[in-house]
Amino acid sequence: MIGYLPGRSPLHRAHPYTTLALAGALLLGAFALTQPREVWLLVAAAAVFSAVGGVLRASARTALLLSLPIWVLLFVLHGLLGADPRTTVGPVALSVPGMARALVLGGRVTAIVLGFLTALATVSPHRLVEAMTAGGVPFGRTFLLASTLTVLPRMRERATQILEAQQCRGLRLGGSPLARLRALGPLALPLVLGALAEVDEQVLALDARGAGSAARRTALDPPADSAAQRALRAALLVLVIAAYAWKFWSMRG
Amino acid sequence: MSGCDVRVAGVRFAYGAREALRGVDLAIAAGEQVALIGPNGAGKTTLTRLLVALRRPTGGTVTVGDWDVAGRRPDEMAGRVGYAFQHADQQLFARSVAEDVAFGPRRLGRAAAPVTEVIGELGLADVAGLHPYDVPAPARKLVALAGVLAMEPRVLVLDEPTAGLDHAQRDRVIAALRRRAAEGVTVLAVSHDLGFVAEAADRVVVMREGRIAEDRTARELLYDREALATLGLRPPATVEIGLALQLAGAPIRSGEVVEALRGTKWKETPQ
Amino acid sequence: MTALVALEGVTFTYSGAARPALVDVSLEVAAGDVLAVAGETGAGASTLLLVATGFAPRVVGGTLTGTRRIAARRCGVVFARPWTQLTGLCATVRDEIGFGPASQGWPRERVRSAAEHAMARLRVAHLADREPAQLSGGELQRVVVAAALAMEPDVLALDDPAAELDPEAADALYDVLPAVAAAGTAILVATPDRERAARVARRAVALAAGRIVARGAAADVLGETAVAGIARAAGCPPPFPLDVPALLRRVAR
Repeated sequence: MIGYLPGRSPLHRAHPYTTLALAGALLLGAFALTQPREVWLLVAAAAVFSAVGGVLRASARTALLLSLPIWVLLFVLHGLLGADPRTTVGPVALSVPGMARALVLGGRVTAIVLGFLTALATVSPHRLVEAMTAGGVPFGRTFLLASTLTVLPRMRERATQILEAQQCRGLRLGGSPLARLRALGPLALPLVLGALAEVDEQVLALDARGAGSAARRTALDPPADSAAQRALRAALLVLVIAAYAWKFWSMRG
Repeated sequence: MSGCDVRVAGVRFAYGAREALRGVDLAIAAGEQVALIGPNGAGKTTLTRLLVALRRPTGGTVTVGDWDVAGRRPDEMAGRVGYAFQHADQQLFARSVAEDVAFGPRRLGRAAAPVTEVIGELGLADVAGLHPYDVPAPARKLVALAGVLAMEPRVLVLDEPTAGLDHAQRDRVIAALRRRAAEGVTVLAVSHDLGFVAEAADRVVVMREGRIAEDRTARELLYDREALATLGLRPPATVEIGLALQLAGAPIRSGEVVEALRGTKWKETPQ
Repeated sequence: MTALVALEGVTFTYSGAARPALVDVSLEVAAGDVLAVAGETGAGASTLLLVATGFAPRVVGGTLTGTRRIAARRCGVVFARPWTQLTGLCATVRDEIGFGPASQGWPRERVRSAAEHAMARLRVAHLADREPAQLSGGELQRVVVAAALAMEPDVLALDDPAAELDPEAADALYDVLPAVAAAGTAILVATPDRERAARVARRAVALAAGRIVARGAAADVLGETAVAGIARAAGCPPPFPLDVPALLRRVAR
């Protein structure tokens, strides 16, 4: 489940910049930490973040699915093919430092993906647009971001419609790899072409509603911010900087 | 080429908790021309989806000729039932109109499909070589319909076939359907365009809240002002004329009205 | 009365097109006018609307020759497919309608009152708190027209606005137009729906292959309605009645 999930959690109600700052801190923090134990504390923090947003189940499931290929790759690259010393687990001899490395890298990916999915699930595109408008961000940029966030559900709906239409014209789904490859054209092309055809109209319609106006947009209902949230965002920034400082200091030492 | 009959018996369908079809029984004989009307949300489109196996009923049976739809996939049903979707853009993709129209027949393995004839029939000969998206949106709808007709289905299911078309295009669609009717093809059209219903249908089925509320001949229903009023509809112009002038034979098609008006004395100047 | 839009000998060609979409077109539109633009698909009606309101060539590209004077401060345009005209950025209908005014940088109060006024005119006030994506086609199209009107345009162009609507919704939409014109907006409407166009427009132009081939009173120009065709075939002498009441008046008892 990738996309916004309505709710009333503290993350939903917080100012969008706050929720994004928390996800950003997880992202940056993941690269600052190097020890398996630290990284897994971060994963735990990401899980807490997700739980606070009330989206832990949905996000965790998707995060695991998305990071699974990477875990497999890491396991093969570092666990099986890594340096000695080795430890035997059943029929396989796994590299000890390799496994440690795999755990760090895999943990990083999991923390980042989980944080990202949580942010996506708890930040409503509408509120983000309002926050950015109130902050004076030019409309073009806010629109680009908001469209990107909502593109997946729209495409999914379209894709389903196309699938049905082409099946009714005799297109059989499944079958040999060659057959599947051939089916790609009739399925993917209408998706792209249809979307492009609509873009023309959308651009006109948006322009007609003044989207290209040079005037600064009025924010109609900007999300409430508070001194506490601003302080939290500042604190997160300090925390991330501190984490990097500590990383470089411990690398030198 | 003759049509198949369509039988829907005790069909129920629910989208999650919401019941869209609550026990629908409908029998359409081969070659009948049926219009399906009713308010938004009545279940009309859902019902048509069941006929091509795009949805499976939660209860009841659907048969097309001797095929039980339950055991079939949509691409198999395409061999018998041609479904024209309301929005054409969800299926056009080929490099040219002609190629796109030929796609369906090719999938079905029909080498001798009447692609050129159908393109001409719907007035698309001038644009046959163009990319579908270089053709204006209303004409794209005709391209999609051509693709369905070229598959020579024995049952035609149409969802709002005249929405967005200009008069010439509408007339071509009506003519194409009349030609298929003469060949015995069964037609089921969902439409809120009563002028079209008057020209193309013999029978009108009204759906409301997931059930069939009325099932009458087109002539009877279109002349029933009250029944139409409960649906928020007015009789088409032909029927208004028939009602006001009490024309014999309850004409519903333009041709019938013109016949009934023969011998009318006309005033020279408008009042 | 000064013209809000004046076109003189305008020829317009889309980029990369072999033939011009409009050839030597001249017309004028003044405040309060309702002008119907008739023509078969591809005759240039949609293009004329875009050229008259300034969206062509500015937004869609192409080359324009001839003289065009647009004295209108703002122009609005409404297309046939309601869902491509939503911004996708607004959580409620009220915000969607207020989007245009907000883009102009109007103060919040002015945005609110413009939105309320537009909602009242289109009788969609009861939908104010609903999510735009969940409305029916008819409701959505009325919201889109309200969104265009909220910007207080001097000229409003509608391109087959009721194409996707059922008869009740189509009537509701067209019924609003005379009042909008009476308030001073100039309206251009292109539609193959001759009956509804004849109901709202006083004047009309007919296009064929990009040229204006007829202009004058709507009743004369809009071409044969279904009723007129029946009258003609039944032996009624010209001028042919356009609608049922007119036909009934012509029958001698």
